[in-house]
Amino acid sequence: MRINKLNIKISNIVILIAAVSFVLVAPRITAGYFMMVVNMGLIFAIAAFGVCVMLGIGGQLSFATVSFMGFGAYFVANLTSGRMGIIMGSIPVIILMIIATTVVAFSIGLVLFKLKSAYFTFATIGLVQVSWSFYLSYVPLFGGPDGISRIATFDIFGFRAEDFHQWFYILVVFVLIVVFLVERIKCTQLGRSLAAIRDNEIAAQTLGINIYMTKVIAFTIAGVLAAFAGALYAMHSQFVSADMFTFERTTTYIIMAMLGGVNNTKGVLVGSMLVTLLPEWLRGMQQYLQLIFGVSVILLMVFMPMGLAGLVTSVGKRLKRKLHVNKKLATSTGMEAKR
Amino acid sequence: MSFGMFYHRKDNENYLVFIVWDDTVDISLFISLSVNGFAMGMIYALIAMGLILLIRAIGVLNFAQGDLLMFGAFISSALILDLELPLYAMVPVALISFALIGVIFMFSVYWPLRDASYPVAHIISTMGASIALREIATLIWGSIPRSMPPLMRDSETGRAAVLRIADINLQWQFVLTIIVGAVLIILVFILFEKLYAGRMMQAAAQDKYAAELLGIPTILTTAATYIIVVILASVGGYMVSPIFMVSNTLGVLQLRAFAGVVIGGFGNIKGAIIGSLFVGVVESFGSLHFSQYRDAIVFTVLIVVLLFRPQGFFGEKVADKA
Repeated sequence: MRINKLNIKISNIVILIAAVSFVLVAPRITAGYFMMVVNMGLIFAIAAFGVCVMLGIGGQLSFATVSFMGFGAYFVANLTSGRMGIIMGSIPVIILMIIATTVVAFSIGLVLFKLKSAYFTFATIGLVQVSWSFYLSYVPLFGGPDGISRIATFDIFGFRAEDFHQWFYILVVFVLIVVFLVERIKCTQLGRSLAAIRDNEIAAQTLGINIYMTKVIAFTIAGVLAAFAGALYAMHSQFVSADMFTFERTTTYIIMAMLGGVNNTKGVLVGSMLVTLLPEWLRGMQQYLQLIFGVSVILLMVFMPMGLAGLVTSVGKRLKRKLHVNKKLATSTGMEAKR
Repeated sequence: MSFGMFYHRKDNENYLVFIVWDDTVDISLFISLSVNGFAMGMIYALIAMGLILLIRAIGVLNFAQGDLLMFGAFISSALILDLELPLYAMVPVALISFALIGVIFMFSVYWPLRDASYPVAHIISTMGASIALREIATLIWGSIPRSMPPLMRDSETGRAAVLRIADINLQWQFVLTIIVGAVLIILVFILFEKLYAGRMMQAAAQDKYAAELLGIPTILTTAATYIIVVILASVGGYMVSPIFMVSNTLGVLQLRAFAGVVIGGFGNIKGAIIGSLFVGVVESFGSLHFSQYRDAIVFTVLIVVLLFRPQGFFGEKVADKA
């Protein structure tokens, strides 16, 4: 189903129109609080894109998302709230944060990827628990149980994001940049190496892929994305505390990515919006909400392990097959004889 | 007060003593800390054993293991606090309901997914089950933690009984936890090493297809595995409930059991038990002076062990499967 001259998929046009109308319409019809929830969904989507890189493209199950989110959030919190006697602008602090996270994530990745598959997953659980206990208890850097408040909001060239509506546009820009990056990664040598590792590690090795370094770089990218989400979260809510960075939270990001379709950027975006927004829409059933969530995760894995995107693809294929079969019947039966 | 690491010389050999040593620490504190550590280690071992049984039998990493423990604790609290059953009536009822939960758990979380082509799907579905179990427990029993009476009570004061040996005070609950845990572990070993049913289960775990050809009903052996796993975790929950309160956050205990599994050696029951006991003891001594960092201590040990001996203490190095 392509418009042949332009070589554009119709489904992509539909998604583009939906996205543009969402961006244009959403801020006009939503009030402050709901806008904040939408913003949260966008921020979480950035962290979920990290999961997408690790699990979707690379096939490595890592729980470290919240550790790096916390790193980014506390990094920004310390440098913009005046706790350390320094108040920096948003752009320099984000750039510093990205450099610092790259170094930290790269070195942690170097260490953890000495381990294979399940061991690596367990080690990331260890990392989450260690980082969480420090975020919760170490007062000089992380503020202890009270967290850190009065974090400066996002500012760029003298413009300050004052309310959630302005934040929305800023976040949309950031999400677009991240989506673009993740899509680019898929097309690069790194992305293809990762996909090869996901599908068959030994086969990838025989093709001359440096498995260890590829995984470490993917881990670093996922870490930086998570830290970036953490930094945005800190600036957006102007407050961080350790309960954002627990083991439970990290499973939420994995579920967000899985819900949409772990290898599909649009799917991940939809998945994280759904996981964040559904609790607000279903406020009436607050009591049963988590239960429904848990049960639907099981059902999701049973019926569509590739998420919503997988469902769309399979339905699309089925439709296409039907259309094609009809066309074939109508046009030629000669093909059958040749075969 | 002084703390740090130092060497303790005994029998002409040096032992690294990694506890805090000051005026308050003496031999009785040392022993009671060890007993507490071993008791908690037993709880982790019960969780860890179930994990390994599931991994060996069906290759599924169960992230709902801690929540099964929590659910078991809630069911026993319902039988004791709400129905006020005496112990001899409570035990069989509890065991039957644990077995039922095991079967339900298997048919809702594992069975529909058994042919899934995407291996992470199993893990994610157990995460969903973990959330669901926690919420079911909250819906039924509310979110207020319930306190459970200890197994052995002082007849005069009505509080938890204390075992006194010389001038060492030990909580009976901890001692009983160690005993119950050890008995369960021995029972499981007898099942797998001596009994025909256990051999069948092992055969089904090793090669499902071949076992089916030999006429072993693999659906029954899988169900039996799930029943054993849930009973192990739930009894752990019952034993731990007087120590902590019964609440829906008991599930976090599974993370330390994971640490024990990895430290001991992945896929190895003996290693998992010893690793879990080790985690319990490290946690117990670590919490003496760094109580808010005890998770950090346990998991730092985990990461260090993984780095220097990725196959764990007792694991054997396995070559990559092509």
